[in-house]
Amino acid sequence: MAVVEKHAAMTASGVSGRKAGRFNSDLPQVWIGIALIALTGFGPSLLGNEYWIHTFQLVNIYIGVAIFQNFLFVDAGQKSFGQGALLGMSAYGAAIVYGLNGWPLAAAAVFGIGAAMVGGLLFALPALRVQGFHLGFVTMSAAIVFPQLLVTLDKWTNGINGINVKIPFLTQERAFGLSLIGLAIAIFPMLALVTHYAIRRSRLGRSMFVAALSPEAARALGIRPGVMRFIAFLIAAVGTGVAGLLYLPAVVFVSPQGFNIEMSFIFFFAVVVGGRGQMLGPVVGIWIVYILPNILLAQFIEYRLLAYGCLTLLAVMIFPDGIVGSLERLRARRRSTGGGEKAFRIDNFLADLDRRSLTSRPQDEVIVEVIGGTKKFGEVVAIDSVNLKVRKGEVHGLIGANGSGKTSLLNVLTGLSRLTKGSFKINGIDATTMAADRISTMGLGRTFQTPRIFPQMSLWDNLRIGLDARTENPSAEVAALAARLEEAVGEDSAALLSHGQRRLVEVMRTVLKEASIVLLDEPAAGLSQSERQHFAELVRFLSRKMGKTVIVVEHDLDLVWNIADTITVLEQGKVVASGAPVAVAKDPAVQHMFVGARHA
Amino acid sequence: MLSEILIIAIRGIAIGSIFATIAMSFNIVHGATNIFNFAQGNMFILGGFAAYFFANQTGLPWWLTMMLVSSLGIAAIVAFQGYLTLLPLRSSVEQDSWLISTVSVSVIIGALLMITQGPFAYSVSAMLPPFQLFGTRTPGAYGLAIVLMLFWFVALRLFLRKTFLGLAISALSQDFDAARAAGLPVRRLQLIAFAISGLMVGSVGFLVAPVISVNPDAGLRYVLNGFVASVVGGIGSYAGTLIGGPLVGVTAMLTAYKIGGAYQDLASLLLLVGILMLRPQGLFGRVTARRV
Amino acid sequence: MLEVTNLVAGYGTVPVLRGVSLAANPGEILLIGGENGAGKSTLLRAIAGFNKPDSGTVVLDGKPITGIAPETAAQMGLRLVLDGHRVFPELSVFDNLRMGAAARRGDRAGFERAVEEIYTIFPILKEKHRRFARDLSGGQQQMLALGQAFIARPKVLLCDEPSMGLAQALLPTILAFLRKWAETGTAVVVVEQHLAVTAPYADRAMIIERGQVKLSCRADELEARLAGEPVVEAT
Repeated sequence: MAVVEKHAAMTASGVSGRKAGRFNSDLPQVWIGIALIALTGFGPSLLGNEYWIHTFQLVNIYIGVAIFQNFLFVDAGQKSFGQGALLGMSAYGAAIVYGLNGWPLAAAAVFGIGAAMVGGLLFALPALRVQGFHLGFVTMSAAIVFPQLLVTLDKWTNGINGINVKIPFLTQERAFGLSLIGLAIAIFPMLALVTHYAIRRSRLGRSMFVAALSPEAARALGIRPGVMRFIAFLIAAVGTGVAGLLYLPAVVFVSPQGFNIEMSFIFFFAVVVGGRGQMLGPVVGIWIVYILPNILLAQFIEYRLLAYGCLTLLAVMIFPDGIVGSLERLRARRRSTGGGEKAFRIDNFLADLDRRSLTSRPQDEVIVEVIGGTKKFGEVVAIDSVNLKVRKGEVHGLIGANGSGKTSLLNVLTGLSRLTKGSFKINGIDATTMAADRISTMGLGRTFQTPRIFPQMSLWDNLRIGLDARTENPSAEVAALAARLEEAVGEDSAALLSHGQRRLVEVMRTVLKEASIVLLDEPAAGLSQSERQHFAELVRFLSRKMGKTVIVVEHDLDLVWNIADTITVLEQGKVVASGAPVAVAKDPAVQHMFVGARHA
Repeated sequence: MLSEILIIAIRGIAIGSIFATIAMSFNIVHGATNIFNFAQGNMFILGGFAAYFFANQTGLPWWLTMMLVSSLGIAAIVAFQGYLTLLPLRSSVEQDSWLISTVSVSVIIGALLMITQGPFAYSVSAMLPPFQLFGTRTPGAYGLAIVLMLFWFVALRLFLRKTFLGLAISALSQDFDAARAAGLPVRRLQLIAFAISGLMVGSVGFLVAPVISVNPDAGLRYVLNGFVASVVGGIGSYAGTLIGGPLVGVTAMLTAYKIGGAYQDLASLLLLVGILMLRPQGLFGRVTARRV
Repeated sequence: MLEVTNLVAGYGTVPVLRGVSLAANPGEILLIGGENGAGKSTLLRAIAGFNKPDSGTVVLDGKPITGIAPETAAQMGLRLVLDGHRVFPELSVFDNLRMGAAARRGDRAGFERAVEEIYTIFPILKEKHRRFARDLSGGQQQMLALGQAFIARPKVLLCDEPSMGLAQALLPTILAFLRKWAETGTAVVVVEQHLAVTAPYADRAMIIERGQVKLSCRADELEARLAGEPVVEAT
């Protein structure tokens, strides 16, 4: 029965192409999250229960921190085990300035957030060089060292005794049992949630996410992963810093023991248990990880660390997506059973651009030129004194056996690796030592052997990162195309796209980027015969209708001979033949590449 | 002055030997699985607790027996942990889950120790008497730490280069796909690697118990310093840990003597960040031995 | 000995094989050719268990082994020699051979005899048996990789581009070795680009194009069949 339905739906979707449902439930999750926070932020005050007021104030502060941990962990891909230390830096910073030195509150706020930002920058510094478990160890060490320093530097921190801070102005009850700080603490996690959502929906958020998922794809789109990491750590530090400021009046007391590594683990574990990347994850996560052991097992308080650990281990083993993540997956699956593989036909969209009836031709102007380019990896010479000229508007095929240096050459041209000797120019400008992101902004776009399509993002967002990569406003045509695409695939998932369609999406991304030079790395691999023909048309369209220069590395010789204006043959890093397809096919140096005698 | 330098050097090298052994135990697991076991420090402390409970103030034969038994027990625990850690990695696309699961196992062990033993430091009586070295009285366990580091270095070298099992584990770290193609039972080998790492930290934890602070919180310090030793020496390099460990140890001791004991971990952290920024492959590390 | 039916496989969402069938018989060499990217390596990897096939079956000696782990396949007698002369670089030549015995533990005498045989066929390996494998030339590494597989005495040998990255002159030596090996009753499948050199050593041949079998014939007919193929039309 279900199968029949699915089949029927697939056929239907082939015609209509549209179906109901959002790509993800971020927005509803934000609303649910705000409702839950409001309930726990205002409810206890209305009831006048001191115990619950205090407990949920702490919970909501922690939720705020966990939201920024979630952002840092998933949206920016930075695994930090030290967010608790940042919270402590801010709370302590403010406590020292206000509580010990009696400066005004505003100065305390600035100092507290400043301290958290300095901490965040210290985390970001090693993140420029290393990732993954290295960063985990560094941040974890920092979280261990921080309380030690608080104890040792007792001249400034009051050491093991901690600092008592009373701010009656903030904690005094104003209306409905609510104090100013109570109000601020209720609103803070809501704002954190909205901030997270807003960043995720922004150009910055998408760039950050791409940088986290695939640094090389990001660089090819003009994004600098290091800068993204820095910004992410700073945002998380500021958010956590604000939480620290709220923590101080709410708890009234800071001490080194309050900010030990255990606290950092709470935030990390809450994100994992709640659901990595889910908007609601930190809310549910903190509730489970913190409330469950602290309230339900209040008489076994010493068991709470054990409970955190066990809950997290169980989550990794049984619900790797966390609680909200598992629910979200269920929802996504239910939604997609009606969809099947989407028929994403890009040529329909491209036809729109076909206003320039002029058929462009390759020009004599050289747009890409490699002069004596050599690239060595240790002793291995990948590219050996290559000279290459690509004319503006032509389709230039690069062929050669595995390991002949084709992809190395592409990587050099896109700035992902640097020539050992020689130079190359793009548009007459020397680009030999340019970083990938700068080359990208000069109008270069590329695709990868395995398409960099990110199923975590919607199909539209996958395309949109091409638009994001632009430095100027898009031309009217591209803007119109983008609008149509958004309308057509706005809430679609990229996960179900077939390989051939992913290829097209990646090419479409370069179109939205309005790259004038498009580099295609083995685009036909994995395409069926009809998809190959389709692809050949697309390349011809890019070149002849849109006037783009296309450099294509490809094994399928039929395809190359079919679409290329010029073919360059590489063998063991050297150019062995270059010229018009007909001439190159007759070149004896090339003959052995063909199985049989097809092109002779 | 000279004697002070000597004390710093000897104690630093001895403490560093512990870090080096932990770093070697990281290496064997990391080579076979690409996993860095965050729980290794608490496994080490388990060894210390075993010494306290089973071999405090006993005779030599019993002490030796217990050292063997508890090291084997910890090896079994680590192997089981390895089994759990590898479980989600078999099918899932998400290959980072080990980071979370090993951290949570570390927290679980720490919490269990805290619940059962309380936040106290336990002192374990020394088996070996102190000895005179360059005119300074040195606790016997310091000597044991250095001897044990050298023992494990030589034992691992022989094991990894001479025995079939060890060669197979080395093969795994050199070319995972080729090892599978050759029919090496990769999962079993990975568990054995985990078990050996448990044997190493269990034995060193047991032996050095008299000179360390055996308390439920101490594990994290050792896992971090072990990691720093591993990074300084170059991840994957066994010979590197022989330098990296003592270097970290001497740095910590120097800091303790010159600035204050509370700054030891800060010094290690700064050393770690410094190395990662300037030379992420470590002092002796090659860029990578594994072909992708 | 080995029967592959309608194998469909790829990497993630990338489809590479679109329904390939083949059979390898004891004592025979099956040559598989085709352009780069046609799916030859993927085919061998899918048979050996490195890629989980999306559909289709692999049967070894009557037992279905579709999608089993590669180490299990190796222990059952199906041995893949990966392309790019992959050996364990930090192990000695002799230890590399020892690793071959992983798929046939407990047969000490057989192991020693097999090592002697390999040393007789490739004396250079005997000469360098204490050296690290990383110090060998590419060709010697390929001999070693094959030697390691030989030690295991598999029922089916899959050999992925033995000539990759080597001087072509070495290919006949390697092929002659495979030929002799096949004649002892092993089913051998060789993927190779250099068809003209390889065909004389093979019994049957197959050309893969875009993930499908384009032609399948006796090895000695291959050249004629390829020459007779019409030029693929430009679309």
